[in-house]
Amino acid sequence: MADKRINTNINNTFLRKALKNFATAYPIARAKAFEGIDFAALRHRIAVSKLAGLKRLPELIAQFTASAEKTGAIVHFCRTPEDANRTIHGIIQSKNADFLVKSKAMTSEEIELNHYLEARGIRCLETDLGEWIIQLAGERPSHMVMPAIHKNKEEVAELFSKETGSDCPADIPFLVQKARETLRSGFLTGQVGMSGANVAMADSGAIALITNEGNARLVTTLPQTHIALIGVEKIVPSLDEALDVIEVLPKNATGQKLTSYLSFIKGPTGGDGRELHIVLLDNGRTDLAANPEFQTALQCVKCGACANVCPIYEIVGGHVFGHIYVGGIGLVLTPFFHGFDKAEEILKLCIGCRKCNEVCAAEIDIEGLIVDLRDKIRKPFGQKFMFGTMMKNRKLFHAALRAAYLAQKPFQSAGGRIRHLPMVLNRETANRSLPPIAETPFRDLMLKRPTTPTLAPKQEKVLFYSGCLADFVYPEMCTDTVESLEGLGYSVAFPQEQSCCGIPARYSGEMDAAREMAKLNIDVLLSEEADFVVTICPTCTMSITHDFVKLLADDPLYAEKAKRLAAKTLNYSELAARKIPPSPPLSKGGETAKQVVTYHDACHLKRGCGIHEEPRRVLRELANAEIKEMSDCDKCCGFGGSYSIKYPEISQEVLKNKLSNINETGVGILAVDCPGCKLQIEGGLEASGSKMRVEHTATLVRERMR
Amino acid sequence: MNETTVEKFRVAAQMIGAEVHSCGSGLGAANAAVRNFSTSNELSSLLQELAAGGSICASTLPGDLEAHLAGLVVSDRSTAADATLCISFAGAGIAATGSILVQLTDPAERAATALATKHAVFLRSSSIVSTLRDLSASLKAQLLGADTTYFSITTGPSRTADIERVLTIGVHGPKELHILLLEGE
Repeated sequence: MADKRINTNINNTFLRKALKNFATAYPIARAKAFEGIDFAALRHRIAVSKLAGLKRLPELIAQFTASAEKTGAIVHFCRTPEDANRTIHGIIQSKNADFLVKSKAMTSEEIELNHYLEARGIRCLETDLGEWIIQLAGERPSHMVMPAIHKNKEEVAELFSKETGSDCPADIPFLVQKARETLRSGFLTGQVGMSGANVAMADSGAIALITNEGNARLVTTLPQTHIALIGVEKIVPSLDEALDVIEVLPKNATGQKLTSYLSFIKGPTGGDGRELHIVLLDNGRTDLAANPEFQTALQCVKCGACANVCPIYEIVGGHVFGHIYVGGIGLVLTPFFHGFDKAEEILKLCIGCRKCNEVCAAEIDIEGLIVDLRDKIRKPFGQKFMFGTMMKNRKLFHAALRAAYLAQKPFQSAGGRIRHLPMVLNRETANRSLPPIAETPFRDLMLKRPTTPTLAPKQEKVLFYSGCLADFVYPEMCTDTVESLEGLGYSVAFPQEQSCCGIPARYSGEMDAAREMAKLNIDVLLSEEADFVVTICPTCTMSITHDFVKLLADDPLYAEKAKRLAAKTLNYSELAARKIPPSPPLSKGGETAKQVVTYHDACHLKRGCGIHEEPRRVLRELANAEIKEMSDCDKCCGFGGSYSIKYPEISQEVLKNKLSNINETGVGILAVDCPGCKLQIEGGLEASGSKMRVEHTATLVRERMR
Repeated sequence: MNETTVEKFRVAAQMIGAEVHSCGSGLGAANAAVRNFSTSNELSSLLQELAAGGSICASTLPGDLEAHLAGLVVSDRSTAADATLCISFAGAGIAATGSILVQLTDPAERAATALATKHAVFLRSSSIVSTLRDLSASLKAQLLGADTTYFSITTGPSRTADIERVLTIGVHGPKELHILLLEGE
């Protein structure tokens, strides 16, 4: 079912083009809107004040209610969507009205208000252009800020022709004018007006609306009765905090410095007969606000930026990537607002690239919350055995990988790579070939190496944690790591008992198994004296430096050990960069010409560990390379570990975008710092007939030493 | 208010699609693209031209401005739905975004500024501030005051990008925003 929708949307050329154009235009507009503004400081302020507010949410609600009532507004607190629908219906009935004219409110979508009212004989008219389009089409918004981004002008023209009974050409200015004329009578005859609110202020009881079209001002003005339906998390203490939200929202949502209209409404204005009803919607929010594990989700200001930058949203759109709230934060809010049954499928769709975290207006660790939520959903059959029994047991897991070396043989082509898998796995190799599992894993190669000589004075010792993919698929990458680090003056050892870092388990929601794997590796890596632990897989780096600490924070024995290990664990590029300039120089021969490379930032290295300068320094200073940057160099390649097996169609579409950016540079070498990115991109390039080399930075440094 | 702030306001407002008209011989004269007015007659003819034969409605204006419009036929605000031009007064301007702050507590005035095809707003250049933050003290005073209130910060004409993300002007609110900049105090 979900698979079918995914494929339908992947093959929807208009949707794909619209989303791709937006994905290209958005970062440019956003950067321009934020010129001269310290985004990091601004969003940090929002995060701090929002979280403080959530921790005393019942108090803020009470204060807002009292202030709003003092202005003459009537405040209704509604615990459930049913409460809110019934309350709103009651207000409309008390006015003997049967026509509600609305401006955009996601809360109204959340409680499916139109459906409820229309079943009771009340006509609802959406006046936001995008909302009206999807109302006419009988659909849900596919973006929080641009609800009809999935519709093209031809579809809109058809909907408008049907609605107005006159022939509408697919001409955008004409269609906008048609909407103006058609909806005008709705504003003038609507008996009750409805809006949402972007922010509500507890000290004054005022609300603020941020809009572009001007419809919100009309629906809050022309009818005598105005209903504002507001999620309780929108309440902030005062104008000071509201101004931060107002400052960030349009810039992050659409790259506008400010929208056309920013309106503040305090109380029912205009005297006799005018009423302002504020319907405060809880629907799980006060419980969520009191939930220390997930409360930060409610810091969200609903700008939609997490969808704007999401590589998966860009491929499948909001009707797949979300329920009613879409994008990264939509995945997080859905289980709390609409139930875990609605969230099960969509929570798996995140590839874990953390691009959303980078732009979130409220500094929410969206990706982290998605991963933590997977622990709460039903797990697929067999997964418990896979992680709980097999991967936790290093010998069993490694024996399975060695067996796979033999099993893959029939599918290997001339160069050793795997191009076609049997039917059941065929989707996996449609647009990329796969590297084989190596005959001799790196761990066995290390056994054959002469034992490490005693340390020279002041020589630093490094324990190498290779990660499974490099160990079993790219042993030569591991050898290059050891030899290049030795060339830079380090002494390197490989603890044989190391095992999987547990990320696949964590990403699949098997937190207990992940915890066990963390403990095992902590014991192995702390038992041998060393100055550093080095990894060549960013996911392993992120796992050791962040996830182990988080997973074991409450463990009396391991919490401290996890922190100690995290403090001395570095990614390869960080460790190598410490030796710039190298002494003695790396190159044995004379100076050779610089080789031109382009660099792909691995998601987990850049956004998981905050590392993006060191790899470039290492390439320039240690590998004698000149870097020609590609566009979107830090955008996901579509690998995502098991993601590329679970959702091969999506993964390969994300890969296509990456390949076209790489090919545009016209260089012959792509440098990466991640074996997973290498696997994905190399496979894509190979399948498309490209001869480009994809190499880990360690390999390029090692080559320089020859 | 210094000249740079006013100039910044003018540039930002024009960039977002508003038209800025200057009164007097001050800043505007240097800019050939700006249409100026310096007498009541010139002002009246500018406004009449904007109304293009359609009806005009106006909010309550400060006395001196009211006097300038003496020669203009202004219809009752209850007919705002049919007005081509609505004239009102902005209490402040914001240079960073080219925005204007308009008091809209009276629903009839609010309707007029929201329904008319064109919106012309007087703004004293002395009331232009650099950023929205600079207005926070006065906005706060209003929000925390005893009276109910409704005000809007307007930035350019009504716009939408809801069809194929193509920016289109004038979906529900005014299609044109004219800012009539008054020099001096």
